[in-house]
Amino acid sequence: MRHLKLIASFFKVSTQAELAYRSNFFIRLLNSFLSLGTGVLSLVVIFNQVETINGWSLPGTLALLGIYLLLGGLRGLFISPSLESVAGMDGEIWQGTFDFTMLRPVDKQFLVSFRNWRIYALFDVVLALGVLIYAIILLGETLSLGILLSFLLMLLASVILLYSSLLAFSALVFWNSGFLFTWIINDLFQLARYPVGLYPDWLRLILTWIIPVGLMTTIPAQALSGTLSPAMMAITLIFSLATLAGASWLFRRGLMKYASASS
Amino acid sequence: MNHKGGWALIKNTWQSWLQHRGFFFLLAFGWMLPLLVYLFIWSAAAGEGSLAGLTQESLAGYYLVLILVNQLTYSISNWTVGDNIRYGQINRWLLQPMSPLYHSLSSEIAGKVVFMLFSIPITALLAIIIQPRFNLTWSQGLLFIPAVLAAWALRFFWGYWLALLAFWATRADSLLALQDSFIFLFGGHLAPIALLPAWMRSIAQILPFRYMSAFPVEVLVGQLTTREILVGFAYQAGWTVVAFILYRLVWTRGVRHYEAIGG
Repeated sequence: MRHLKLIASFFKVSTQAELAYRSNFFIRLLNSFLSLGTGVLSLVVIFNQVETINGWSLPGTLALLGIYLLLGGLRGLFISPSLESVAGMDGEIWQGTFDFTMLRPVDKQFLVSFRNWRIYALFDVVLALGVLIYAIILLGETLSLGILLSFLLMLLASVILLYSSLLAFSALVFWNSGFLFTWIINDLFQLARYPVGLYPDWLRLILTWIIPVGLMTTIPAQALSGTLSPAMMAITLIFSLATLAGASWLFRRGLMKYASASS
Repeated sequence: MNHKGGWALIKNTWQSWLQHRGFFFLLAFGWMLPLLVYLFIWSAAAGEGSLAGLTQESLAGYYLVLILVNQLTYSISNWTVGDNIRYGQINRWLLQPMSPLYHSLSSEIAGKVVFMLFSIPITALLAIIIQPRFNLTWSQGLLFIPAVLAAWALRFFWGYWLALLAFWATRADSLLALQDSFIFLFGGHLAPIALLPAWMRSIAQILPFRYMSAFPVEVLVGQLTTREILVGFAYQAGWTVVAFILYRLVWTRGVRHYEAIGG
């Protein structure tokens, strides 16, 4: 309860700060439409040349794009702004101001995961939902309750995987404060824009087991089309929880290593 | 004009950037990834056959060269021009006895040196993994050099005049994001121009964006007939002149309009 209240006030403060810059509204709107437009046009161009790629057709890939944009929207809403303020460029570790965060009387992982919000990322979330719904209509399937539930469950697993990967890469900053580890995972996340099955075998293995950005969009998309086996669902769920535990462990290890920065 | 001072500045900048190479390697890695995504997607789409005459091997060749050309022509200095105007850094440049253009040129050259240190080995490694096929001739190689230089000049001055609009509008840099999207769609990143639908292909032919990135690559890997090469050079030269005139125009008016604030 206390944590929910804290999140609400973090959200309020961040939003007030952001709304002070009014021109940002239009610029963020422009950026959201740019990423939607280029994403959709890319699929139009690709499927203008071929009917299917490795079994993926336009509607299925469009649904996957919707999931990608949705995850990107959630990431931009709070995960990235919060973690970047610690581990990013000019972040608190870099500047040594993380001392003040350490002194706050609240769980540190909670604090660095939820404290900054970017309300305009909600544009991306809304547009992503639009893409997703349109893709479902194109797929022409009547969604049974079972499929919808398994889709939502796999989406949750993907959000956990995304958060854990970002947290793990952010935690590495405690070992080398000069390197922008979060940029690497942000760059690699772009690979989730397309089904992991379209990549060559060596890359597919990396994107499934080592840096699981490939799973994040492909698995929910498969759940939506009803082609995901229950066994795979269970594995994904266990894998995402294990990743969360591993990333949290890494973060706590990092905290113990933190020794402030002199200035 | 004090060219000796300019050269000293250029050398100084790249030596200092080399000390922060980790940061610039990360930037280069981030620019490489979207192109790698489309390299893999088109390879999967082509399969064992070919699309518009392009096989897997020739697509790989196209994209690997494009990765290098894109980094050679990308102007990171465009992004800092707006900040320098807003924060008043430009005051000092205006007082120095050499053209302020040298400050941007020095970042340009420093950037190319540092980015190539990263990108050439990585591209070579990728070439070993994915086995591209080129049919290079001496004449294509010779024509590539002026094409890539003009592509850089066009992209640099085009971004520069957009960035200089910061004299009037604080958020002019969002125009640079728009430019990047156009280069992605019409500059051969999303797909080689030959694979675009007819309507996009004719737009790409006319707009300047293809001549900023894809054109030199098409010349080098031999996708164009002699006539197409000549027409391409004509468009490229024309747009470069337009970009330079716009830069001169915006610069002279902007400096007259400029008033420093703060201190």
